[in-house]
Amino acid sequence: MAARNSAPEGNDWVDVRRGLVSRDVFVSDEIFRLEMERIFDRTWVFLAHATEIPAAGDFVCRNLGSAPVIVVRDSDGAVHVLLNSCRHRGAKVCRPDSGNVRNFVCPFHGWTYERSGRLMTTTFDRHFPKDFDFSEHGLIRVPRIEVHKGLIFGSWNANVIPLSEYLGEIAWYIDPFLSRSPQGMEVLAPPHRWRAKSNWKVGALNFVGDSQHILTTHVGPLTLDPVRAARAGFATAAENSFQVVTDQGHGCTLTYLAPGLPEEAYQTHPHELEPLYKEVLQADQRQLLNRLRVIVGTIFPNLSFIETQVGPAQKAVIVRQWRPISGTEMEILSWVLAEKEASTDYKATVLRNGFHNFGAAGVFEQDDLELWASATYASNNAIAKQFPYSFHTALPYIDAPEKDHKWPGRAFKPADTEVAQLEFMRHWDRCMNSAA
Amino acid sequence: MSDQKPMAVDGDLYVEIQRFLFREAALLDRRQYDAWLVLMTEDIRYCVTAAVSRDAGANAVEYSIIDENLVGLKSRIDQISNPRLTRAENPRSMTRRVVSNIEAYHSTEPSEFSATSYLLAYRSRPSILEGGFYVAEREDLLRKAGSDWRLARRCVRLDNLMLFDGALSTLL
Repeated sequence: MAARNSAPEGNDWVDVRRGLVSRDVFVSDEIFRLEMERIFDRTWVFLAHATEIPAAGDFVCRNLGSAPVIVVRDSDGAVHVLLNSCRHRGAKVCRPDSGNVRNFVCPFHGWTYERSGRLMTTTFDRHFPKDFDFSEHGLIRVPRIEVHKGLIFGSWNANVIPLSEYLGEIAWYIDPFLSRSPQGMEVLAPPHRWRAKSNWKVGALNFVGDSQHILTTHVGPLTLDPVRAARAGFATAAENSFQVVTDQGHGCTLTYLAPGLPEEAYQTHPHELEPLYKEVLQADQRQLLNRLRVIVGTIFPNLSFIETQVGPAQKAVIVRQWRPISGTEMEILSWVLAEKEASTDYKATVLRNGFHNFGAAGVFEQDDLELWASATYASNNAIAKQFPYSFHTALPYIDAPEKDHKWPGRAFKPADTEVAQLEFMRHWDRCMNSAA
Repeated sequence: MSDQKPMAVDGDLYVEIQRFLFREAALLDRRQYDAWLVLMTEDIRYCVTAAVSRDAGANAVEYSIIDENLVGLKSRIDQISNPRLTRAENPRSMTRRVVSNIEAYHSTEPSEFSATSYLLAYRSRPSILEGGFYVAEREDLLRKAGSDWRLARRCVRLDNLMLFDGALSTLL
């Protein structure tokens, strides 16, 4: 058996003081394997949205770290998350992406499990030793499952801190996008899924706060309709905008419309839904939404979200997961959400306009992924690895959070620095260097 | 819906439809987008869907990844055809679209014909080096006005359960 991976003594992967991060962090398969151990098998990881599995027996197949899991709803409404590998000889007991099941019958030899994972029969029960304990041979259950505003998280770590504590202050910022009406949000379609030849953290950093890439990477869609028409005032918004950093490596960037625009420009959210927001959100959270152009953020390690303008008073909320496959490849899963109470027409528009921008053929996505793949390719060699990535624009600001910030977390201005990205890497480094 | 099976198109008309589909694919491969757009009707609806892997006995589930009208199509083309406005298509991708297995049918409208075809589209990028295939069945609605043919609707159903190498930036 291979020795457990360990972090090299005194590794210099992340140097917050100098604003440097080693390129190895973004290409190395060894670091990827250590991330599985020290991050993905220890902390909370997003699995599915509750509205993907509304009925008893509904399931989706996902991954928790490097392990395939089934996320299934039981007849009592409970959600179980099970290792998708038969206790007998390891076959996946559930092979489609999604569906509905009464129980899981392994297609290899017939071991049969309840939705809870309990072993019902092996089909050869008569040949088992008398002392074989069926209750000890159910599907391996993910020990911790919690749901926050429809987001189902799981953890392989039985001792992980409660999810509410893990999300902490970032919840105040994400809740107005995940649950802002009495019935909450729903996913409008199955997730878009595609692979990218890039490390998962490149996506996580892009969403936690990379305002600097927008005008270069995305010059195309920003110059063209329909996005051009919907972004009046964007370029002069920086002074009102800020980044937020909270504990556990979470962060987000809020970009507001500049003052002095025509009044209708500030109607960023749908008229007919705003009264519903009043029923659910605090006054301060409604103020957060007011004049908000775009919010984009990352929940450590690999869950991101963006709410973006897709038309006059139309907002698409996109939830996004960067699933690590190796040091240099990831799978991206991307959902579009809307308020359950919204009209069918509104949902259809939000879905179409949402994936026009962000999705498996998104006009923003295509340019991002081209450049992430090129950065991965160009960094993955011994010469390039001698020269760390630059996060220098965090340095003048990272020790100077806004003193009079009245909302949770630490806020940083202006929004177009790399503070949130460097703080994400600082937390990553802390996890990777913690043996326990 | 009528109980009658749609009547297959054959002879010269079939050859015209085949020629239209071959020409249209060649225009995309040669990046002659303006000439390609002329082949779209004003009310074109252009869709690409991907499939979810499902149990063989369960209902099929697919989801849209592109759903555009003429304005949206033009916007996508304005992006990928302008070297200043695209990263995904500058430097240019190499693409080759192989169109085959064409079946064409008359419809209730004398000037409208449905056509299904198989598409094998190869794409390679300089930044990724090895290329890959998009594989799809396409359902088209074609309109004939005199000797001119136009595409009024296209639904591209991808067979790829997982798209390779990032987001789709080309038309299929």
